[in-house]
Amino acid sequence: MNGKSKIERIDQETLSSLGQFTLPQILLRQSERLGSDRVAMREKAYGIWQTYHWKDYFRYAKLVGMGLISLGLKRGENVALIVDNGPEWLFAELGAQSVGALVVPLFTSAVAKELVEGINRIEAAYVFAQDQEQVDKLLAFKGDLSHTRRVIYTDPTGMRTYEDDPWLISFSQLLDLGEELDREQPELYNKELWEGKPDDVALMLMTSGTTGFPKLVMLSHANFTDMASKWLQTAPIGIEDDWISITPTAWIVDQMWGIGVTLCGGMVMNFPETFETAVEDFREIGPTVIVSSSRFWEDLASKIRVKINDAGFLKRRLYEMSQRIGRQVVDLESEKKEIPRTLRLLQWLGIRIVSRPLMDRVGCLNFRAAYTGGHPISPDVIRFFRANSLNLKQCYGLTETCGIFQVQPDEEVKPETVGKPLPGTEIQITEDQEVLVRSKSVFVGYYQNPEATAEALKDGWFHTGDAAYYDDDGHLLIIGRKQDIMRTREGEAFSPDFIETRLKFSPYIKEAVIWGEGQEYLTAFINIDFGNVGNWAEDRKIPYTTYTDLSQQPAVEELIRGEVAEVNTQLPDPMKLVRIILLYKLLDADDEELTRTGKVRRKFVFEQYKTLIDAMYSDKTEVPVKGQVRYRDGTVGTIETTVKILTV
Amino acid sequence: MKAFRGEPSIFTSARPEDRRAELEVKDLTLKFGGITALTKIELKVRNGELVSVIGPNGAGKTSLLNCITGYYKPQEGQILFNGQDVTRLSTHHLTRLGIGRTYQNIELFPGMTVLSNMLLARHVHCGYHVGRASLFLKSVQQEEIRHRKVLEELIDFLEMQSIRKQLVGSLPYGMRKRVELGRALALEPKLLVLDEPFAGMTLEEKEDMVRFLVELNEAWNQTMVLVEHDMSIVMSISKRVVVFDFGVKIAEGSPDFVQNHPQVVKAYLGDTSKIE
Repeated sequence: MNGKSKIERIDQETLSSLGQFTLPQILLRQSERLGSDRVAMREKAYGIWQTYHWKDYFRYAKLVGMGLISLGLKRGENVALIVDNGPEWLFAELGAQSVGALVVPLFTSAVAKELVEGINRIEAAYVFAQDQEQVDKLLAFKGDLSHTRRVIYTDPTGMRTYEDDPWLISFSQLLDLGEELDREQPELYNKELWEGKPDDVALMLMTSGTTGFPKLVMLSHANFTDMASKWLQTAPIGIEDDWISITPTAWIVDQMWGIGVTLCGGMVMNFPETFETAVEDFREIGPTVIVSSSRFWEDLASKIRVKINDAGFLKRRLYEMSQRIGRQVVDLESEKKEIPRTLRLLQWLGIRIVSRPLMDRVGCLNFRAAYTGGHPISPDVIRFFRANSLNLKQCYGLTETCGIFQVQPDEEVKPETVGKPLPGTEIQITEDQEVLVRSKSVFVGYYQNPEATAEALKDGWFHTGDAAYYDDDGHLLIIGRKQDIMRTREGEAFSPDFIETRLKFSPYIKEAVIWGEGQEYLTAFINIDFGNVGNWAEDRKIPYTTYTDLSQQPAVEELIRGEVAEVNTQLPDPMKLVRIILLYKLLDADDEELTRTGKVRRKFVFEQYKTLIDAMYSDKTEVPVKGQVRYRDGTVGTIETTVKILTV
Repeated sequence: MKAFRGEPSIFTSARPEDRRAELEVKDLTLKFGGITALTKIELKVRNGELVSVIGPNGAGKTSLLNCITGYYKPQEGQILFNGQDVTRLSTHHLTRLGIGRTYQNIELFPGMTVLSNMLLARHVHCGYHVGRASLFLKSVQQEEIRHRKVLEELIDFLEMQSIRKQLVGSLPYGMRKRVELGRALALEPKLLVLDEPFAGMTLEEKEDMVRFLVELNEAWNQTMVLVEHDMSIVMSISKRVVVFDFGVKIAEGSPDFVQNHPQVVKAYLGDTSKIE
């Protein structure tokens, strides 16, 4: 889309030299080149967007680094970050890296026990905590955190009464210490900074532990710079283009962009004011590029459709017309057919009158490219956005590959594929359909786990664990996790992921888990989407109370049964779902049913809900349940209900 | 950066003498025809104190607040604020002197946004008059910016960023009470009078409000007089508690002292069990 038309690309010389430096060294070079003229970060505070220039960025990172040295940090030690998106995150990360520390970000949504396990695993000498909430989690287990010398908290709200605790120190105090040390030893920072080498490990990220213990992926500075240069060469992004930072800092996406692409490319990191204002702030920024999950786009599409329903007659008519035209164009384009002149003209009108204002309203006007990853997105949703002139494309990547390495090219956007590899990336598909990747962005290894590393990395080829195949256009199509591919009693192979994704295309289905290994037929657990099904129920004047209540309503059962039957039509006979259960509670990470990144832990769920699964393979039509729920504060409650088994 | 938040400039840049608040109520008697609402009330609020006024319904607590803030004029007695006799002064005079209050039945304009409502309180600190304003001179613009900055800091302090442009009428009750507090603070009051700030709130909303009030009093030395029914809150945050019954002060002292005072217990419960 033609939001911001001019791309100021970073020059070739800088681009090709990236691999020779560490990320903090690149920060220094950027601050020398882009100085105080160019914006590096924006944070919305006190109602306005406060800007930080590259010189500020470098200065604060330096003060953090010096502050850490002042507290006693030694080269090679580990630093944990339990922080939200904000300038302090980047200052802390690059600051720690610049003085030789290895950074490990953890989820702010994790419970205390998880955090303590993570911190102790890496023996973190220092921990950056976002606010009182995180500090309280750590204080509860202070005795167990013997390696951690100090905890540095960013947000001072509510911390007044903690001031006496010598274990804690505020971010602003850290900066002061850094300033002091820098005054006393002005040569020290530079010396430490230039001791860093590009092959040093910069960051370690936890991978989702869908099977057992999560692993720590070690990513080097070189991994990031290589991945960044690939993106800067091929994606339509340049200096001062905008990225909005809203995904967890412990995930690869914002890390890949935060210290990878935006740092190396001179782009701007934008931080919203609060969680509640994120949508409005997103709109104000109108970012240039975004990488988001399929769920984000699906939700946005439903939101738009709901809002259009409430609009006046004229708007609705115009909208419907423009959508029809847009879709026609998109369909012709994807079939690589000629588009008639009149249609082009109508499309132009439609874009000017409807699409542009519509996209502007949701903050998507300036996207030169928008990517959706993680899970295949509903083809309908892709068509919807492309019909509105938003260049939405699918992509694929993993933490171990330092993010995304497969992207659909602009002219070749088709449903379900993940396109072609980025330059400098080799792909191989083994006999058992596993995808292997080799490039300079592929990770260094798993922390303190040589066996897992040896299994995953062979001759530089990373074994993704995903099964895929190539289509006629040379695009890669992901089937699902290789290890999840199951066989029915008759020996038919199926990928539960494949079916689950298609079920989740329905706005009424939030999560689905397929069962059927060694069984006669396939069954599924369905989690309804409380918001969308709730709205649907309200429209039909069906009263409901809780999630449990709504999920067991007869009308809702019919609705979901219909959705599943629809998906069944797209599946070959042996893969059709025969019986389903609408679960009485949402699968949750706090109950260990999902990972922190929202992926289902199949084995665990299988064991927890065995009675229900067995019931689906028996004659029963209902099962009384007494289930446990873990609440946010750690207390455990019980839900007692009767769950019905539906036949599709 | 969030590392530097939580320090509203109206507190950090004010001199201690500008925020000094000493309230003295002497011999106050208030009658409505045949009903005596308050009888010979004596009360002192020292600078930086958080004093709570409690008592059964109809005890005269709100009447006392209304006398202090100029709505009622007592028949007998005096109210001294920082040594000045303010008994007969009108309400708007009192706001200029630095007495601000929140109302039990929220007095905000439901058709205006949160920001607009809070901006109203800034009139006391407005340096320009209608002439300059109508021309929207540079100096007027600068002043508007300054006021907006003060409000944004308060909005940040009270964590109301997501509702700043929403109409007050569309907000849930608990948030409206918070806006009410924000408006009172925008006045930069020396003495903050709060009329049942926790009434009708959920547990979470109460916890948030307590946090703000305690922060205001302990970190920023805000002098406060609080009328409230929630005993657990009153007992845990007040420095001093004053108990009224039938228009008469029946006890005064630390929370512990008042909790065990036989007359107080009798007034509330009619027997000698301890108030929790």
